[in-house]
Amino acid sequence: MKRGDLLIIAIIAAVALFFLVPRWLPGDESENNHNEILTADITLNGKLYKTVELTKEEQIIEIRSERGTNVVKVHDYGVEMYDTDCPDKVCLTFGFIQKPKQSIICLPHRVMVEINGVQDVGDEPDAIVN
Amino acid sequence: MPLSTEESTRMLKRTVMIAIFAAVAVVLSIVESIIPVNLQIPGAKLGLANIMILTCLYFLRGRDALMLVILKTIITAFIFGTFSSMLFSLFGSLFSFIVMFLVMKLGRNQVSLIGVSIVGGVGHNFGQITAASIVFQSSNIYYYMPLLLITGLVTGILVGIAVKYLVPSLTKLSLFEEFQTNR
Repeated sequence: MKRGDLLIIAIIAAVALFFLVPRWLPGDESENNHNEILTADITLNGKLYKTVELTKEEQIIEIRSERGTNVVKVHDYGVEMYDTDCPDKVCLTFGFIQKPKQSIICLPHRVMVEINGVQDVGDEPDAIVN
Repeated sequence: MPLSTEESTRMLKRTVMIAIFAAVAVVLSIVESIIPVNLQIPGAKLGLANIMILTCLYFLRGRDALMLVILKTIITAFIFGTFSSMLFSLFGSLFSFIVMFLVMKLGRNQVSLIGVSIVGGVGHNFGQITAASIVFQSSNIYYYMPLLLITGLVTGILVGIAVKYLVPSLTKLSLFEEFQTNR
């Protein structure tokens, strides 16, 4: 190990932590906005395939194309890639995602699932009390 | 213009070395695919094939290593049947190769093989994510970059250590003798 090595390690670790630490800090809205249901866009080949609501209830969405099939599963206010017949299976390693800006990508099939940011639901009631 | 015997022997040796390195790199890729890594980090991998690319970069010229990178990517695409994503892995590998080459050239005295290997590992991840973000026209995928920086750092150190042990052993072989003096 030389000085330059340590410098490289320090720079990369610093850049990584700079982006990672804010995510670990308690989020101001990430936990308590479950009353606001997020949506996710599924795109195939760059075109919007379907927009789904990330509900607590389970939903299974199959995306079929000439390249192959991907099965996306929505549950517990999040979404995950459940099954695929692509050759590298990298999309399965994305795991369960539930925060805005997170995404799942299947490169071989050109499938992307992206969680949208929290939208302004201006004309909807905040809560309905029965 | 005919080459002198010495020159043509040297060229032949280079070609043989690239071929052997490519074969070993492909085998390492296969071995790597068998090892189950259950990290929940997309795209994170050990990058064992980088051992051969870095070793090649150490002994031979940049263009030889470039040849190795391209060969290795095409052959692994054939073996795994991942043609649809071959361009992505080529993009990652080429980017990784370029940064390793530059760091090796510029920081010859300040950076050891471990540093070069780290830059290569991180560069590979960066290249692939960039390729993906271009194709999908979305920068959201960079969400995973910080995590991949960390995994690239760790696997880079491991690969660098492996190369550090490999280089002195190879140097003892007569085939590598004359290439050693280049440096």
